[in-house]
Amino acid sequence: MEFLTPLVGLYAAAAAVPLLLLLYFLKLKRREALVSSTLLWKRAVRDLQVNAPFQRLRRNLLLLLQLLALVVVLLALAGPVLSLRRGPGQRYVLLIDRSASMNATDVEPTRLDAAKRQAKIFVESMRTGSALSWRDQSDHAMVIAFDQRAGVACSFTSDKRQLAARIDAIEPGDGVSKLGEAVVVARAFAQSSGGEASGTSGEKAARLVLFSDGRIADLEGIVLGDDELVYQRIGRSQDNVGITAMNARRSYEQPQEVEVFASLANFASEPVTRDVQLAIGPNVHAVRSVTVPGCETQTDADTFRPGQATLSFSLFHSEAGVLEVHQLGTDALACDDAAWSILDPPRRLSVLLVTQGNSVLESALKACPIARLDPCTPAGFDALDPAAFAARQKYDVVVLDNHVPGHLPPCRYLVFGAPPQGIDVNSPGEVENQLIVDWRSQHPVLQYVDMTNLFAARSHRLLLPRDAELLAEFNGSPALALLRRHGGTYLIAGFDILQSNWPFEPGFVLFCYNALSFLGAQVDHDQRHELAVGEPITIENVPRDAVVTVICPGGREVDVRPDPSGTVRFPGTYDVGVYTARASQGPPRFYAVNLLEPQESRIEPKDEIEFAGLPVAAQEQGVQQANVPLWPLLVLLALMLVCAEWFAYNLKSRI
Amino acid sequence: MAIAKPTTRKLSDLLDPKFMARLDSLDLLSRKILQGKLQGERRSKRRGQSVEFADHRPYVVGDDLRFVDWNVYGRLDQLFLKLFLEEQDLTVHILVDSSASMGLGEPAKRLFAKRLTAALGYVSLVNNNRLTISLFADGLRAQLPHMRGRNYLSQMAEMLLTTDCEGLSDFEKACRDATASRIGRGVTIVVSDFLFKQGYEAALRRLIGARYDLYVIQVLSPQEISPELTGDLKLLDVEDADTAEITVSAALIKYYKRNLAAWCDELRSFCTNRGAVCVQANSADSVESLVLNYLRRIHLLR
Repeated sequence: MEFLTPLVGLYAAAAAVPLLLLLYFLKLKRREALVSSTLLWKRAVRDLQVNAPFQRLRRNLLLLLQLLALVVVLLALAGPVLSLRRGPGQRYVLLIDRSASMNATDVEPTRLDAAKRQAKIFVESMRTGSALSWRDQSDHAMVIAFDQRAGVACSFTSDKRQLAARIDAIEPGDGVSKLGEAVVVARAFAQSSGGEASGTSGEKAARLVLFSDGRIADLEGIVLGDDELVYQRIGRSQDNVGITAMNARRSYEQPQEVEVFASLANFASEPVTRDVQLAIGPNVHAVRSVTVPGCETQTDADTFRPGQATLSFSLFHSEAGVLEVHQLGTDALACDDAAWSILDPPRRLSVLLVTQGNSVLESALKACPIARLDPCTPAGFDALDPAAFAARQKYDVVVLDNHVPGHLPPCRYLVFGAPPQGIDVNSPGEVENQLIVDWRSQHPVLQYVDMTNLFAARSHRLLLPRDAELLAEFNGSPALALLRRHGGTYLIAGFDILQSNWPFEPGFVLFCYNALSFLGAQVDHDQRHELAVGEPITIENVPRDAVVTVICPGGREVDVRPDPSGTVRFPGTYDVGVYTARASQGPPRFYAVNLLEPQESRIEPKDEIEFAGLPVAAQEQGVQQANVPLWPLLVLLALMLVCAEWFAYNLKSRI
Repeated sequence: MAIAKPTTRKLSDLLDPKFMARLDSLDLLSRKILQGKLQGERRSKRRGQSVEFADHRPYVVGDDLRFVDWNVYGRLDQLFLKLFLEEQDLTVHILVDSSASMGLGEPAKRLFAKRLTAALGYVSLVNNNRLTISLFADGLRAQLPHMRGRNYLSQMAEMLLTTDCEGLSDFEKACRDATASRIGRGVTIVVSDFLFKQGYEAALRRLIGARYDLYVIQVLSPQEISPELTGDLKLLDVEDADTAEITVSAALIKYYKRNLAAWCDELRSFCTNRGAVCVQANSADSVESLVLNYLRRIHLLR
């Protein structure tokens, strides 16, 4: 027998028992009765005391019964349990899946709550090694909640209340389940057995208890020992319709035209018809009914193919906005019923050309579909305030023609001639009579560009850092390289075009077009707007003293400060939905966090999960209460004692 | 004997007229035939001038020749004297406890004692005995000495009815005072509950003597014989305000009853050993049956 809360019982006893004794021994107000003489009564009392040594005890029978009843109640308060588990103390790691599929409501209220409930039952069943227990063998447990990341909710302890509280505190997430990290963390904690875990329990390997629906992405990569893991399956149903893909894209030719693609998957065996709604911000744009066929299961090949339905919307929208595709039916899992996409406003590029005068380059750039081309002298560029230049973002691309500027505000650069200083590109000298030997024709910059005949009379010899992307190569030096440094993107051609035959090649104009498109696309390259759950929101080039407020889908606001390099990182994208980042200046930025994960949308719980070569079957029964709580019996006993006391009192009074 | 009507209304408050009518046929009896002062209606041990023949004895010189039985002399030619039983009056002394303790009980012991006293007194007065009634508590509180004849009935009734039960009891002092004023021979009857803290032995010894028959009548209330108390009590002595704190239990009641029985037994054996008669009565019983049945059976009345 063990006591769950021995201290509560002790404190209550310390207060209640003396109080009862005090109350009992306080002089009771006796009724007065007249008698002819107290002579015989006094003799009788004396005889009673003299002749029956146990009379005092008998007289105190009521007190004894009261004390006994109180003691029983106090024992019940201390929470005694009868442990049915035998053997020495064990160590357990409770792995609780809090991924998106655990939000399914096929188990009331949700699978995660069911998992937490089962975990708490498990914790209740553990043996405590308190001082009042007959054994010093106690079970220890730690709790790890995981989706794609593992979080230690509670390290090894035998404190059941702490464990239960920490289990209760586990929040649901919308991430993908990955068990690998959790297993690594669990083993790391189990091996560094310090603190509370001591004695024999430290020598035994900890057992892993997994509370999950079995939809775990990385099972094949996890190697487990026999009997190391117990799998408690959570969940019943497989009926779910989810959005597994979504994309919104502006047409390049018609920037106002937006194409939206979405893909629905049905994981139930019956086909379903669902209404799908497209909304831009708060305005519903279209609702379309779509029938998704049922899934196909082939038992022999163990393949599963969900029923797929694709639908596309096309609309005209010339402003920025948040697109939402929402399937309106209700099913077990809500977080995959909607997907969002952030629509950028259509934009055309502004280009700054820094040159002493290069009509060839200028006319090639003018041929490209750009909004503005501003020529600028090298002296004029050096005179610009770099901070203001970076903050205003007036130009999308800067073309440097044979100019090495004194400072480089972060921007997109197309460089001809000598490479700029401070981006780790060295130019120890020049090489002559260079011919192209190789180029990457698949790269977007060099698409459709034929460089076969390119010849450069003189070229700077480039020594590139290792992370630079080499696009074309002369026989003696790199010819074209792509490099990202300090928030800027640099496309470097190490030669003066006037020293080469490139302007006479048709590929030159194509190169300029490709380069501007590529660099223009890089404007928001660092700004990814569509993220998976758990991917951090990253905003670069934020002033040091600025504060960015991130508004989560639930309405929670988090203030984030930039790190010394001016980058804001917000890792808390644990829920699907639209996140808004609001800086003190500038328009708010939107980020869409989508699940879009068929693995999580398939909520059918697995009866057997297969680790690397080791299948683990789900436990036939859920977690059973292994400790029998004794307090109801004790309360019953207390009731009986009170009845006995009442009976004794009446017996005494009736005489 | 003529049927006596109740002489006062007051006596009828104590005694039922029918009961009094039955009492008229009774007389008090002394187990010893005792000498009285006046020539009374009762045989004395002393032989003397009377009508009832007792015996003959041989004449010795100096005897009164008036009592020589000349018929015997004529027949036997010897002188014999005729001896007669002399009838004498009887002194009846009734000592009634009127301390506060007698006021308790349901029905009250006081009432029982007074009715009993009235009945015995009635019998005494009707039979021309010399009656003294003393009410005592801590000493004699009231006394009606040397009454004789029906004329005193009202006086006796008034005293019994007007005297309250109050005060401490000092039985020995009362007996001392009572024996000081006692004259003649006869019967002493004590009516009390005999719950005296200082004991009754010394007092009773004073009352027991060659000249008096002693009858002790102990009156207890039903509440004293079998108490019906419950719970935690503070018992208050009605006389000396002494207290006893008790928690009533079966055992306590058992010990009380045992003590009461022992107390009564002691009193009875004390009396029996000294030639006195002890009668124990319950105040709930009827005085009539006690007087008409029990007291006749023990030959206090006939």
